[in-house]
Amino acid sequence: MTLHPLDWIIIVGYVIGCLSAGLWMRRFVRGVDDFTIAGREVHVNLGIASLAATEMGLVTVMYTAQLGYSKGFAGATMGVIMAVGFLFVGYTGFVIKPLRNAGVMTIPELFEKRFSTRVRWLAGVFVALGGLLNMGIFLRLGGDFLVHATGMPASSLELVMTLLLVLVLLYTVVGGMLSVLMTDYLQFILVGVGIVITSVMVVAHIGWTNLITTMQSTWTASGGTSPHPFNPVHPSSFGWGYILWMLVFQLAVVTTWQTTISRVLATKDSATATKMYRRVSFYFVGRFLLPGLWGAAAFVYFTQHGGLPAGLDSMTAMPRYLGVVLPVGLMGILVASMIAAEMSTISGYMLTWATVIYNDIIMPCLKNPLSNKGQLLLTRMILLGIAVFLLFFGLWYQLPGSAWDFLAVTGNIYLASVFTLLIAGLYWPRANSTGAYAALILGAIGPLTFLIVNARATPGHQIAAEVAGGSSFALAFLGMIVGSLVSRAPAKTLQPVPA
Amino acid sequence: MKDPYVIAWTLLLFSSIAWYGFLVFFIGIRAGREMKTLIKDLTAARPPDGKPPAP
Repeated sequence: MTLHPLDWIIIVGYVIGCLSAGLWMRRFVRGVDDFTIAGREVHVNLGIASLAATEMGLVTVMYTAQLGYSKGFAGATMGVIMAVGFLFVGYTGFVIKPLRNAGVMTIPELFEKRFSTRVRWLAGVFVALGGLLNMGIFLRLGGDFLVHATGMPASSLELVMTLLLVLVLLYTVVGGMLSVLMTDYLQFILVGVGIVITSVMVVAHIGWTNLITTMQSTWTASGGTSPHPFNPVHPSSFGWGYILWMLVFQLAVVTTWQTTISRVLATKDSATATKMYRRVSFYFVGRFLLPGLWGAAAFVYFTQHGGLPAGLDSMTAMPRYLGVVLPVGLMGILVASMIAAEMSTISGYMLTWATVIYNDIIMPCLKNPLSNKGQLLLTRMILLGIAVFLLFFGLWYQLPGSAWDFLAVTGNIYLASVFTLLIAGLYWPRANSTGAYAALILGAIGPLTFLIVNARATPGHQIAAEVAGGSSFALAFLGMIVGSLVSRAPAKTLQPVPA
Repeated sequence: MKDPYVIAWTLLLFSSIAWYGFLVFFIGIRAGREMKTLIKDLTAARPPDGKPPAP
């Protein structure tokens, strides 16, 4: 399918508007606090819009649709678990309340107050490593969507990826978090409109009863060997082991994932942060379920139309299907909203990892503190470096399996250890720096082994994601407990900072 | 269609579509106001020449 001129007008109009708004915010950046955490001036609804926009990227749409295509609605179970996690933390203030009250800019900064400067530095390395690897596939998946949804030649994928990155880089480098907030707001609205319209169109096109009965009958016809489309704990679907890993993993995500936590740290106080969590929780069900619906509908459509055409797979079936469903104008709105989703996610993530690299890896190594101007310049240079990394990693790296497993395991590199450090640091007075080192190193072993072994091993001999992920949490907690109990290193206490 | 999993996913899916539609307007309007306030506060913090304050 080729886009109609009307679609192009909508897309180009949005991109120009968004870019102008982002660049306009540059005038308000006074220092590194404004640049990285918007001077802690964010109120609850703007926080929700920014959090939702950042966490609903084009990459999210792609991997959740892939889960919907291959595992049916059961693929959206992670969204339900995540929503429960947000609700639980929103009501109890678990981790995020003391974290916000500590007045830090990043999570590793808290570890310096609670453990030591070296623990902060090592945690910063793990956070940045896990975060950057995790983000490495964003551009390629985004480019895949645009190429297949618009019918552009596959050879233009690299050009599309580069263009998208340059656009995002332009406003993120000059305006930082203030530009990200402004563009996130615009993107939240456009993405919401695009997702609602597309979901309604998909249900109307495929037919609800047809969707359910075809998924059910395909599973029955396979003799129960293909993944159960509705029951996530069925052995042919995720199974209990995977779901149990996800329960811990998603709780770690909502309390530890730096891009989410940066919104908590940008709020004006901890009450705003917990309210933001409560109100945003159900959004995460739709984050997995609605693109999952598009993927499941693509599966049913291609099953009923002679199977998946050559050149398509479980990942690219959804954008090709939407090209069939959506009429002129709506296709433009969808593509513009997906570009919006990609831009908000990339800008939010780039800024977050740049802040960690600046704040927790470079700054602790400097003997003399930089001037305000120097800090801003350094953060902008790091942003540029991340963009170059993304471009080359995105072009070079080939996904060995499902996108979700890659994202979950790379995120796990730091989630397991940092989650352990946060829980122990905030709630276990006996925790000390020796336990923190042990947790950091042991927590990274499982995911790194998964990445290295699975890149070389044949499908039958690969490590299961839940084994790598689940063991990393167990090892990190074990390391923290044994290390803290065995060593005589003194334990430090946290001093809360007034909001 | 009597499968409890199917009923649960049906309820969750249509609630999600309704919730997203509601959020776009509800959060859209309120967050827009907060963005305006943020810009107003930031404008007030700037010096009269319009340039960002010297670091």
